[in-house]
Amino acid sequence: MRVGLLPNEGGGSYRFVIIALAIVGILISSLPVIVVTIMSFSAADNTGFPPEALSLRWYWDVIALFTADDASSAQSVVDSTLTSLLVAVIVMGISTFVCIPLAYALARGDRRIRGGMELLFTLPLVFPLVILGIAFLLIAESLRVDIGIWRIVIPHVALVLPFVLRNCLGAMNGISVEIEEAAVSLGASPLRAIWDVVIPLMKAGILAGLIFALIISFNEFTITFFMYTIDVSTLPIWMYSRTVSSLDPSTLALSVFIIVADVVLIVLVDKLIAGRASLF
Amino acid sequence: MSTQNTHLHIDGVSKNFGDVKALSNIDLKIERGSFVCLLGPSGCGKTTLLRIIAGFESASSGRLLLDGSDIAQVPPHKRGFGMVFQSLALFPHMSVARNIAYGLKLRGVSGKEQRDRVEELLNVIQLPSIADRPVSALSGGQRQRVAIARALAIQPKLFLLDEPLSALDAKLRDNMQIELRQLQQKFGVTTILVTHDQHEAMMLADELVVLKDGAVRQSAAPSVVYQQPADSFVADFLGAANLINVGSVQGGQVQLLGKLTAVDTAHADNTMMQAAVRAEHISLAPVAQAGGAAVGTIEFMRDLGPSTEIVVAVDGESLRVRSPNVDCQGLSIGTQVAVSVDPSQVSVFKA
Repeated sequence: MRVGLLPNEGGGSYRFVIIALAIVGILISSLPVIVVTIMSFSAADNTGFPPEALSLRWYWDVIALFTADDASSAQSVVDSTLTSLLVAVIVMGISTFVCIPLAYALARGDRRIRGGMELLFTLPLVFPLVILGIAFLLIAESLRVDIGIWRIVIPHVALVLPFVLRNCLGAMNGISVEIEEAAVSLGASPLRAIWDVVIPLMKAGILAGLIFALIISFNEFTITFFMYTIDVSTLPIWMYSRTVSSLDPSTLALSVFIIVADVVLIVLVDKLIAGRASLF
Repeated sequence: MSTQNTHLHIDGVSKNFGDVKALSNIDLKIERGSFVCLLGPSGCGKTTLLRIIAGFESASSGRLLLDGSDIAQVPPHKRGFGMVFQSLALFPHMSVARNIAYGLKLRGVSGKEQRDRVEELLNVIQLPSIADRPVSALSGGQRQRVAIARALAIQPKLFLLDEPLSALDAKLRDNMQIELRQLQQKFGVTTILVTHDQHEAMMLADELVVLKDGAVRQSAAPSVVYQQPADSFVADFLGAANLINVGSVQGGQVQLLGKLTAVDTAHADNTMMQAAVRAEHISLAPVAQAGGAAVGTIEFMRDLGPSTEIVVAVDGESLRVRSPNVDCQGLSIGTQVAVSVDPSQVSVFKA
């Protein structure tokens, strides 16, 4: 058996510290999820914690919200969910379409340019989100035309690009120039070599980037809060507007649905990065 | 060499990277069906020359003539040269069969023909049952063979190899050298191999091109390069040669270990000269039999199994001598011996 660098066998004090830190970490990161999930099963009309009795009534409420025919509020939640999904898919598409060639060019190009470009694309991450929201709002308002859904898509793309680019670059790093040259020497044009060899080898990184883009865009609130209009609004905005007056457990039930979907996607990312599995 | 038989003519090729001259005025004619080794230390420009031939680098000046026509403007994917890379560069996301068939697929060869050709090549490389395996499941030697098969599958006009055996262990490398030579003869393809390993080059090449600092130092058959090195660099690079300062030419002769030795008449009097003598061409004898030969003292001895390596100090120079064990009876460190060389095995050149 391998000898650990830290004495962690037989109940050493290191082991105690590691377990204590792990528990604190898990609690901090999962506490909100646990609380929301428990409260969503509450039988009461308010959001007192812990709930005195359990029921599924708020889940039925959520389903009713989505299926109710004519109520104006129901229309809005369906609309904003569809808008959220549409925005997320467009953001995913654009960011991937931009990042694959960009990552290729940066990985194959001058090292100094690469450093500078990476820094540039990381800027939206270090910029305070509120200021970013105001900035995008100023830009959108200065335009004389109504750009519809794009007033949300464009800021989301800016926000998501660093994540997608990083994943694509990481994938490119493992692909040697020789492997492309091998394809070319066998008769592939340079573009064909990229299509046949580089893209398939980047696949895990590309997919991880895609899913990151989808999750970040779907959950984004701060910038969207500045950008939404009556016609174009997203699910997080709808949830906020619903809870701002009184906290309604049906919102919590809805968020449990979103959490489940997110967790499935994150597990998928993890499998792709760690296991190098392929989806297609 | 007749012009018809010249397959590739490298005509005055130079390459500059900024101010650095990587290749200067390389002139080589490569015969059809021959096996040429570009040999030299790292940084001598051998890989750059191979990449220029493959089309991955462009020459700063000079021409590349394939069967008499200039191929400078032909992009690498249209040259039809099979190449084996130092890293092998197999496609990790494809099976062995798809790796080998890749070049055929690009040429629009039918599926059945692709399968037949893959099967044939796998038989040639003696790995008939690995077609469906992923590349990652292969051993080093198997990858090597697959990379060679992939390059040969397209029936290349030229077969280019960039230090393909350097990653293998010594025994496997030995076997692969023999196999590579047999494959090359079987396919009759004009082959250019880059290596820094003189044993590999000696073993494989019909023609050995020794490069240093971007220039050709000698280009000849391996036995000629070994026995008649053109200069001290070639002599030194091709295995354990003793380089001896033999002073200046006087009347067409130099003093080598106490004996006058004739040199090429092209060298004028008073030119300083050097001689290269291989360890196995120096013989030792008891001092009583010196007969005018130089006398030296044994400084070091080690038994190498079939032979003994002896270092002898003569006239202020340390000579490496290798002689069969039977001739070494009675010799020990400190013994005085007469040292002589076979004049026919000595190369003398300008220092």
